Amino acid sequence: MLNYLLKRLAQSVLTVFLTVSTVFVLVRLAPGDPAVAYAGPLATSEQLAAVRTQFGLDLPIWEQYLVFLRQLLQGDLGTSFSFQAPALQVVLERLPYTITLAVSAILLTTIVSVPLGVWMARRADTARELSANVVTIAGQSMPEFWTGTMLLTLFAVLVPILPASGFTTWGGLVLPTVTIAIMQIALISRMVRREIVVNLQAPYLTVARSRGVAEHGLTWRYAMAGASIPVLTALGTRFASMLNGVVVVEVVFAWPGVGSLVVRALETRDYPLIVATVLVTSVLSVLVQLLVDLCYPLLDPRVRLGKVAAS
Amino acid sequence: MMTAFETSAASAAYDRLASSTSGLSRRTLLKWATAAAGVTALATLTGCATPTGLPGPGTLTIALNRSLVSLDNKLNQFDAAVTVQRAVRQGLTRIGTELTPELVLAERFELTSPTEWTVTIRSEARYSDGAPVAVEDVAVALEMYRTTAGSFLAGFFPEWPVVVPLDEHSFLLRTEKPLPILDYLMANILITPAAANKNEELQDGVGSGPYVVASANRGTGNYVLARNKNYWGEAPEVQNIQVRFLPEESSRVVSLRSGEVDVIDTISPDAVDQLKGLPGVSIETIDGVRINQLFYNFRKPAGHPLANPEVRRALSYAIDGSALVDDVLVGSVVEATGVVPQRLTGAAETGSYEYDPDKARSLLKSLGVDDLELKIIWESGEFASDTQIMEAVYEMLRAVGVSPTLQQFEPGGDISAWRQGRAGDWDVLGNGYASPTGLAVTLLQGMYAGTALKEETRDSYHGYVFPEITDIIGQASSEVDPVQRQTYLDQAQQAVWDSWPCLWSFAPKAVLARRDRVEGVELGPNGSYRAADVTLKA
Repeated sequence: MLNYLLKRLAQSVLTVFLTVSTVFVLVRLAPGDPAVAYAGPLATSEQLAAVRTQFGLDLPIWEQYLVFLRQLLQGDLGTSFSFQAPALQVVLERLPYTITLAVSAILLTTIVSVPLGVWMARRADTARELSANVVTIAGQSMPEFWTGTMLLTLFAVLVPILPASGFTTWGGLVLPTVTIAIMQIALISRMVRREIVVNLQAPYLTVARSRGVAEHGLTWRYAMAGASIPVLTALGTRFASMLNGVVVVEVVFAWPGVGSLVVRALETRDYPLIVATVLVTSVLSVLVQLLVDLCYPLLDPRVRLGKVAAS
Repeated sequence: MMTAFETSAASAAYDRLASSTSGLSRRTLLKWATAAAGVTALATLTGCATPTGLPGPGTLTIALNRSLVSLDNKLNQFDAAVTVQRAVRQGLTRIGTELTPELVLAERFELTSPTEWTVTIRSEARYSDGAPVAVEDVAVALEMYRTTAGSFLAGFFPEWPVVVPLDEHSFLLRTEKPLPILDYLMANILITPAAANKNEELQDGVGSGPYVVASANRGTGNYVLARNKNYWGEAPEVQNIQVRFLPEESSRVVSLRSGEVDVIDTISPDAVDQLKGLPGVSIETIDGVRINQLFYNFRKPAGHPLANPEVRRALSYAIDGSALVDDVLVGSVVEATGVVPQRLTGAAETGSYEYDPDKARSLLKSLGVDDLELKIIWESGEFASDTQIMEAVYEMLRAVGVSPTLQQFEPGGDISAWRQGRAGDWDVLGNGYASPTGLAVTLLQGMYAGTALKEETRDSYHGYVFPEITDIIGQASSEVDPVQRQTYLDQAQQAVWDSWPCLWSFAPKAVLARRDRVEGVELGPNGSYRAADVTLKA
């Protein structure tokens, strides 16, 4: 187990390093000049040259990369051009907002989608399931910007009971959470339904049924246990992607998360901020995936981490 | 039907699962789900039970379209940011709503010889920590603005003045050449205690203004200002100002409509249309200090049609300015009648655009211009409704036999290299230029005072180099006598107009929308207002 953990941690460090290095090079190859974004379009050549020298942008890319690596080892990701502050600090100031929204959305998704998926599975191919299907397909089809705008119009303008933008009160969390969760619930509940239906038809469930286990127990105790790994994997993947920023929702609700931050950083060619954001979010994503993997043996003892499964 | 082997395997699987799930029973799962549901419900209820983000009775909430980043203006000065920055820090002077300098920290700011201004700081002027505003603070502030890389003011100061102290409160601002607009320029220099000033944007809020920074989150762009208890002037009525960063216009509009935000600015004609007539919302409008242009490329070789001012003028007859102003920009702009916005001090009316497509066609034909191709470039967001304007211009040019192509650049892209002619050729550029001083001469210097030397480094304004015009602008800049200065300004502006630099141009109005509970907002042409004058109705 410890070996597995160390191996996975080493893999994670390598993944993050390669991601950050790729982004470091790619943003510098993209069109645009951070010096112009910093000093304005009417800055003279002399002013632009001074800015480039100040930020080391006049060095060849490989030399900038070496400087970056040296700073990275010291925990310094450089100074954000647009915020005039350490890039890592700017990202960390935004991160709590992203984590709050992601946790809230994934909780709501889990709480609603699992029982809904089970309900649909137990009523598979009935008229009631069909109506639930219509609802979930609708939820899956609605783009987040549309859902968000509709919720905003309804609950912040027409019946103003919730804040329209930002996170100045806890109420501000409701609309963005619901907006994200609607699509995720639709996706996850359909997945839960499929897994439960498959598991309910498995031979071991027939045995359990023959031993007198009640249908409710069959579903929740056995079928759900069989379905838990793919469902957990899907939830983990979605949670990780939420931690990378839910850009559309952040824009609609003016949510001060890392998604909108990285968009702004790209617009202003704020290289240190782009790299810092990618570093932090990729670390979080990798950690979430690792945690999900570590949960597998808890859900299914047949899984032995780091060992090839016996045939 | 299962075989015996399958039955045995399934039974074994069942047994494994039954034993394995003993640690994760249905009951446990339900407990977890209930606990999670409780936490979520509690958070939601707490959220719903608290106010919905509406500002309190003593708090003014304003939403900015750009992040303030800091309460300093060395790199950054735009519309309402000026309002906020000046609520905390002050200059010796400020540009008033009539675009003339008014005294703030200075009680005297007087031109006492062609190259010397005598300034006296108010003896009562104090910072929020109680320390007096000193002459040294002014000297250090000038030095810090001068040496900040990327300082937006650098281009506006033809020469940086030297501070010569006279006594505790008085000093001279000395220049080598006459600088008669120094009182305007100094309005942009915000004074900070010398020991706390740096040649970068300052992140804390020690200033002499009516407010102090109570909390700041640079990452989210949210700031809270509280009344400065040590303010040397008349105390403001509003207790707190909450500054929020809402980059999307739709978010700002919805937040204003819901009452969550009191004041928003820099809004498009579409947003004004949505807000007009809504109960509880008022719109303030004033002619602005910015000019937006469809500017010709002056780097064309001698034989190119656009090198001929008559061709440039003929093309302008194709543009239906009234339709653009009324239908596309919904009256949010004024068609230019000069080369700078008429609101600016020193502006002159030099002519007007005329829409006559038949004349455009016949003039182009008489000038031997057939099948002219025009490449029009611009950056998204350069001005409100930019894409719609360009699409309309495209159709208008096609109607007179010109073949335009449009190329739009995303913000942060390569348009700067294109502007300088380093990335590719173009014919017309959608562009804007504002005067932070409120003076016509500032714009003229920035755009039309090109020299061969500047052009060597591609620093002239899109290749606009007319030495005779540069000379007149230079004379206007250093002329101490106001009457003679205006004569030079008139001459320069007429000469620029006659050179026909733009296909079309217009001056957008400064626009602000506010809730009716907010009073005392006196919107200035630069889009800002004095926060200390604002009051809130109960």
